[in-house]
Amino acid sequence: MKSTTDHQASAAIPASRAGGWRAVMFLVVVLAYLAATGYVAQSDLGLQNLVLVAAVFGILAISLDLVAGMLGLYSLGQGGFFGIGAYMTTILANDYGWNVFGLLVFVLVATGLVGVAVGAMSLRVSGLYFAITTFIFTLVLTVLATDMVDVTGGLQGWLGPAFPDFPGGLQWLGTPLVWCTMAGLFLSLTLVWNVRHSPFYPILLSIRDAEPFAEAAGVRTAAIKIGVFGVSAAMAGGAGWLFSFLGVVSPGQFDWSVSLNVLVMVLIGGINTTIGPVIGAMFVSMFPNVVNINPWLQEIVYGALSILAITLLPNGVVGIAKRVLAPLVGSLDPKTDIVAVDVATAAATLPAPSALATGSEIIVECRGIEFGYGLGPKVLRNVDLAVQRGHIHGLIGPNGSGKSTLANVISGRLTPHAGQVLVKGTRADGMPASSRSKLGLRRTFQAAQLVKELTLTQNVMVGLFDRVPRIVSRAALWPMLASGRRDLAAMHRRSAETLALVGAGEWTSRQVGDVPHGIEQLTQLASVCVAGPDVIVLDEPATGLSAKEVRHLATILANLKTQGVTMIIIEHQTRFLFPLCDRVTVLNAGEVILTGSADEVRADPVVRQVYLGE
Amino acid sequence: MLQFLLSGIAIGSIYGLIGMALAISFYVTRIINFAQGQLMMVTVMITAELVSSGYPVCLAAAAGLVSSCVIGILSYLIAVRPILLSNRSSFGWLVSTLGFAVIVENAAAYIWGPTSQAFPPILNNISVPIGSAVLTGQQLLSIVAATILAAGFEIVRRHTLFGKLGMATAADPEMASAIGANTTVVAIVAFAVSAAFAGIAGLLIGPTTFANPYLGDTFGTYGFIAMMIGGGTERPIAAMFGGLVLGVCAEGANGLINSQASDWFPFIVLVVILIVSPKGLFSASNPLFRPRRPAAASR
Repeated sequence: MKSTTDHQASAAIPASRAGGWRAVMFLVVVLAYLAATGYVAQSDLGLQNLVLVAAVFGILAISLDLVAGMLGLYSLGQGGFFGIGAYMTTILANDYGWNVFGLLVFVLVATGLVGVAVGAMSLRVSGLYFAITTFIFTLVLTVLATDMVDVTGGLQGWLGPAFPDFPGGLQWLGTPLVWCTMAGLFLSLTLVWNVRHSPFYPILLSIRDAEPFAEAAGVRTAAIKIGVFGVSAAMAGGAGWLFSFLGVVSPGQFDWSVSLNVLVMVLIGGINTTIGPVIGAMFVSMFPNVVNINPWLQEIVYGALSILAITLLPNGVVGIAKRVLAPLVGSLDPKTDIVAVDVATAAATLPAPSALATGSEIIVECRGIEFGYGLGPKVLRNVDLAVQRGHIHGLIGPNGSGKSTLANVISGRLTPHAGQVLVKGTRADGMPASSRSKLGLRRTFQAAQLVKELTLTQNVMVGLFDRVPRIVSRAALWPMLASGRRDLAAMHRRSAETLALVGAGEWTSRQVGDVPHGIEQLTQLASVCVAGPDVIVLDEPATGLSAKEVRHLATILANLKTQGVTMIIIEHQTRFLFPLCDRVTVLNAGEVILTGSADEVRADPVVRQVYLGE
Repeated sequence: MLQFLLSGIAIGSIYGLIGMALAISFYVTRIINFAQGQLMMVTVMITAELVSSGYPVCLAAAAGLVSSCVIGILSYLIAVRPILLSNRSSFGWLVSTLGFAVIVENAAAYIWGPTSQAFPPILNNISVPIGSAVLTGQQLLSIVAATILAAGFEIVRRHTLFGKLGMATAADPEMASAIGANTTVVAIVAFAVSAAFAGIAGLLIGPTTFANPYLGDTFGTYGFIAMMIGGGTERPIAAMFGGLVLGVCAEGANGLINSQASDWFPFIVLVVILIVSPKGLFSASNPLFRPRRPAAASR
């Protein structure tokens, strides 16, 4: 009984008591970590070396998981950044006598910049081609390291610099390199843990799984991808800095097989988990020392084990552990209360748009839009559209008439070949999609673009991206900042409320992958409404909804309208659409054939012929 | 000059064959088989072993190719199929095909030892003067074999039902199986064919490199570069063109820059090509060759 009251309490005041538990857990973990580090730092060189190599590869694996797990960028360039860090440290410390700690800063900045450059170059292609491009980056670096004998020492490489000793009073701590490496690992773990517990995490996953959705929420996805890739590269460079103190630095230690092995570590340990990459790194790097047989047999066993691991544990060790522990951990998670909110009354608390309706002001205007895909014929021809503030403007037309294309032009997914798009009198064509959310323009997608593995609330939080300041810059420290905890709680509350308003309140803590299609559509709508937009473009919001759900949707949209939100709705179900609309525009074969009230449109003989099928 | 060009084409056709081998399995399954170089090595090792125990070269080569095909099919069944079945878009195959490569390579090193063994010369002892240049019979054989195989593959792919089945499987495996194509059989055949391509490349280069268990590493990498230069991920035959470009660049660099230049020059070429056209020189998305917008379409 006591435990259930605890949960309700923690749900009501998410920050305080749950936070207290967290702090105690955190302290215990830190103390255990310190004790383990102290033990290793005092023990024999064999064990130290084993742990050091595992820790360095742990950092490397974390750096890969940061981009592969959270952004879906399977970088095979980690070995290259690792090598750059190690070579820079070795050469600058040995030949030029740089201070090793000054070098750490230098290495982090330099590899980070190289990462940004490589990222900007390789992100022109995605998926497998990104992996291949970064793979080639590593390949080229290995070749350079082998062939530029004067600088890099060729195949033999150089002996790395010595790590400075502790000052006199701290000698009892043992080997300083152990402390330094373990501190590096701890910092890396803290960084990714913080990011995972910040509102930046759902945004990263939305870039990975639903990029148009993220862009429509105002996220500059390309810049974030490149930036995060730079951070990941800097981490790999830092791992290289540590590695250079472990002995010889030579090309073989950074070649493409290292990059692949780091991926093996991440996948075996569990991709997109905080601790998984470290477990994978321990397994892979300690394997040759633990299994001490004929080296070829040992490699064969290693190969077989990695195949077995990847086929039997597609989610890695941590994935399995989570599934086994889920029933236990699940009962500890704070349960979100089911909030029953009457849609009609609750709509009053929906975030209101910035200005109230002022009669006949035109809020979105398209002038002479021309657009065509590739070499094909024009899809939009001289399309003019004027939407009044506070109106619901319907957009109908047969399949292929250019409705969705027009929605994409208005929302910025597509750039028109000619013509202008004005939002609140500001020229918006030419702006990237992500800039339009600042103008108060949001959109939904016909096929819901959401992150399946996140909860509804987390998905809706993505919609708040440009309403909360400095999400990106605070992400690395988020849970440690009072402002971060406060903002996260506020975002969480606001998202859950908005979900309740659209009628999905019972589902807030379910994953999007587990909810029915109708709820997915409502989540999309909530993620748009949560930011309090002035204009919403809805692309076929009623697709795949049951009759009851369609009626529910109509109520919500009518409520939004009373709030002064302007809506452009593309829809085929005229029975749903016409009663809502103030104006309806009919498109046919890329041209506007009529704009008028629902009754005028319904009565028009041409519309009846081309669209309503009479 | 002619010498560089011809010997470049000869070695390039071997890179091209391995590149095509990678591209053929990629074409059907959208994965890169990191064990491709090792499949080539298997043919070389088995052939060398059988010849040294007294079998005729033809028989030994055939046995080598067959064993490559068998191991190629095994690589699909063990390292590729289970991954694709569980999640088509995961990158698990990177790990499993690499694991398979590690197993094959180290098994070979365990059986035959890490040092090189003799390989039958085949046509390597014959010199053929062409103008001012001299090629060995083996080099000439490489060019001929690569031409026949590349052209043959392209004809089969475009003009036979099975080739079209491969195209359908490549485009959309679920749709292909919905209309009755057995995509597993298509994939198995593709892996067998790609192993055969790699094996033939092994037979062609074996007399020069001798039989070494680590042969797969180097040639796998060069095959990969050939595929990327050409854009073989879209059309397997483009990997052959990529191989020829790579071969000529490497030989040219060796002769015109210095004797070590072939180690790094091809990589510079690769980087430049990928900066200009990220999906390869002969890919449809190459901005240099992109068809211009016809005036008629933009009224």
